[in-house]
Amino acid sequence: MPKILGIDLGTTNSAMAVMEGGEPRVLENQEGNRTTPSVVAISKSNERLAGLLAKRQSVVNPKNTIFSMKRLIGRKFSDPEVARDKSWLPYEMKESASGGVEIKMGDRWYTPEEISAMVLQKLKADAEAKLGEKIEEAVITVPAYFDDSQRQATKNAGEIAGFKVKRILNEPTAAALAYGLNRQKSERIVVYDFGGGTFDISLLEVGDNTVEVKATGGDTHLGGDDFDKRITEYLAGEYKKQEGVDISKDALALQRLKEAVERAKHELSTAVETEINLPYITSDNAGPKHFLMKLSRAKLEELVQDLIDRSIKLIQETVTAPVPKGGGIKLSEIDEVVLVGGQTRMPAIQEAVKKLFGKEPHKGINPDEVVAVGAAVQAGVLQGDVKDILLLDVTPLTLSIETLGSVATPMIQKNTTVPTSKTQVFSTAADNQTSVEIHIGQGERPMMADNKTLARFILDGIPPSPRGIPQVEVVFDIDANGILTVSAKDKATGKAQSVKIEASTALSKDEIERLKREAAEHASEDEKKRVLIEARNQAEALVYAAEKAVKDAGDKLPEDIKKSVEEKIAGVKEVKEKDDSEIIKARVSELSAELQKIGETLYKQGNGPERADRPESDRHQ
Amino acid sequence: MEDDQKKETTVKKNKSEIQNETSTAEAEKLKQERDEYLDGWKRAKADLINYKKEETQRLEQFAKFSNEALVAEMLNVLDSFDLGLATLPESDPGRRGIEMIKAQCLEILKRYGLEVVQTAVGKMFDPAQEEAVGEVESAAPPGTVAEVVGRGYALHGRIVRPARVKISKQQSK
Repeated sequence: MPKILGIDLGTTNSAMAVMEGGEPRVLENQEGNRTTPSVVAISKSNERLAGLLAKRQSVVNPKNTIFSMKRLIGRKFSDPEVARDKSWLPYEMKESASGGVEIKMGDRWYTPEEISAMVLQKLKADAEAKLGEKIEEAVITVPAYFDDSQRQATKNAGEIAGFKVKRILNEPTAAALAYGLNRQKSERIVVYDFGGGTFDISLLEVGDNTVEVKATGGDTHLGGDDFDKRITEYLAGEYKKQEGVDISKDALALQRLKEAVERAKHELSTAVETEINLPYITSDNAGPKHFLMKLSRAKLEELVQDLIDRSIKLIQETVTAPVPKGGGIKLSEIDEVVLVGGQTRMPAIQEAVKKLFGKEPHKGINPDEVVAVGAAVQAGVLQGDVKDILLLDVTPLTLSIETLGSVATPMIQKNTTVPTSKTQVFSTAADNQTSVEIHIGQGERPMMADNKTLARFILDGIPPSPRGIPQVEVVFDIDANGILTVSAKDKATGKAQSVKIEASTALSKDEIERLKREAAEHASEDEKKRVLIEARNQAEALVYAAEKAVKDAGDKLPEDIKKSVEEKIAGVKEVKEKDDSEIIKARVSELSAELQKIGETLYKQGNGPERADRPESDRHQ
Repeated sequence: MEDDQKKETTVKKNKSEIQNETSTAEAEKLKQERDEYLDGWKRAKADLINYKKEETQRLEQFAKFSNEALVAEMLNVLDSFDLGLATLPESDPGRRGIEMIKAQCLEILKRYGLEVVQTAVGKMFDPAQEEAVGEVESAAPPGTVAEVVGRGYALHGRIVRPARVKISKQQSK
């Protein structure tokens, strides 16, 4: 089935994603990046460029490098917004015959649709190359405040690029979809979208699987770029004060500073202080000059506080202003808050939003990609991926088998997709053990007694042999209907036994939740128990080995060593059943040290291998 | 009598024919189902195999480029070397040592797949490898590289940072 591409066609950058195996996947472009600059150009050598390549030559070709098309698409030339943007956009534009906007690129006039189509075309080609299949359909997102004409124009851009546009989706709705918020019964959601160059607020109302935009607000000329500019200006100013050199006049130095500022800004999202270190930034008569300054998170926040405050004020207006200007509701009536846009990684913004609504905002998905992810989710719904995929069940709880010391040894971990099958070989715990009990349990606790027993059976007829020698192969198999079959087979005799458990996955939801909750509650005490059992098992194994070694050595062993080993064995036995894992471990290591003496003595007596083959520890003596 | 007998046989025949027909239809249906399931199973198998292949490729790519962020940061250090060296006269005795440290750094990064983008004054500007940061008037053909301002680097063939160049433009008269 051909895929539908989800596209976030942004003002400065665009991103794309598809559904794959029921999960959204963000696609990288040809240059290997997850976002693509929404820039198109006709280069000086008359080549048409789109994306990063167009951006790379923008400085020397400003008149023929077209960006921010989203600000013009579907608008009338007489629109005040267009007049405002015309004043700072470096390329030529004029009124088209139909009253719209036309842009000059190279020696031809283009409509904003045609320009946007070139960006979309690049995304299409890159997605096709990445996926190795043709892509003909797309879901494209637009801001919630876009009117019919802007939506139609965006749709046209998609069609020009060769897509069948299945849906024009609101960006905030896409963000809510990405977080699965559309499944709630009835909720009010605020989407706070702080991008590179624009700031959008949307108030959504979800009900019966529909998402309705109740109010929108924001500032089309406020974004993360303003933050960068503030920091750069501040640092350049400080440097001028310190060194008396104005680096903002030096293009190359300024470029280095801007890049360092972007890095520093990102770093201050996790660190509280960072250092901007730019050696040889410039020079004067006295020789080279360096730039070394510390920037703290507190200083950064101080520099941009008014921008954050402005965004918070805009949220308040959008939510509380009376209809139709705003949503006409109280802030406390908002159920969910979603953060979109790279700038929302800044802790101060997250804090401010949290404080305003008194609740934790959704921010788990990469904020640069969340809209594209949501577009892909919508695409998945349209292509039937999300609903119609073959629903494979998972095992809700871990299925285990009881082993020495009542430990629940997991065979099939929880959340494993069924049908599945796991095989493991076990052995006996005692000498001459002729039967094993297979005890099957379900749950997350490490001790079998704390989990739910599903079944037990006994496999007997194992030929008598020392512990650890018999091989019992245990198979856990769950078919597509959730029926668990456990079989055990003695590999020596081929004797087998099995049991079928019908209801292994048919626990009630409450029961599953209870078992999971209990596992979480008891995690630390269970861990202690597990450590203790492990220590006990180790003690038992070593006692067994020690007794055997003493017996095997017989007369060859000097009486004093024999006596001290036996003492240590008694020491281990004495504490083995106690509840203190530390003391068991201590005694075990004492015994283990003593035990080595047996080996040493036997070697010295010449019963060991040739000298050259002696163990490392021997040779050093 | 004879007639009756005949009738009976016909009836019997009809019954078995009907039975035959139903079982054929049943068999046909089962056959269809079998084909459908077999197809679904084969597809699921193929999906898994293909997924594994893609996953291997993805992992290979991931391993190749997992250093990209670190390498990209290290480029600033290489730049600083270049800038520092540019301030030292050829005769400076310390120069050789710094050049060697720079070469050492570059050598390490090269081992991890870093390559220097080959750019030269006079060649046509190529935005796939270069970023234009300005223009200079020169006698050289317009649109060619007039000056290399910063070195470009690629990691396993993918541009991590384009070379920064100035482009020549026609001299104004």
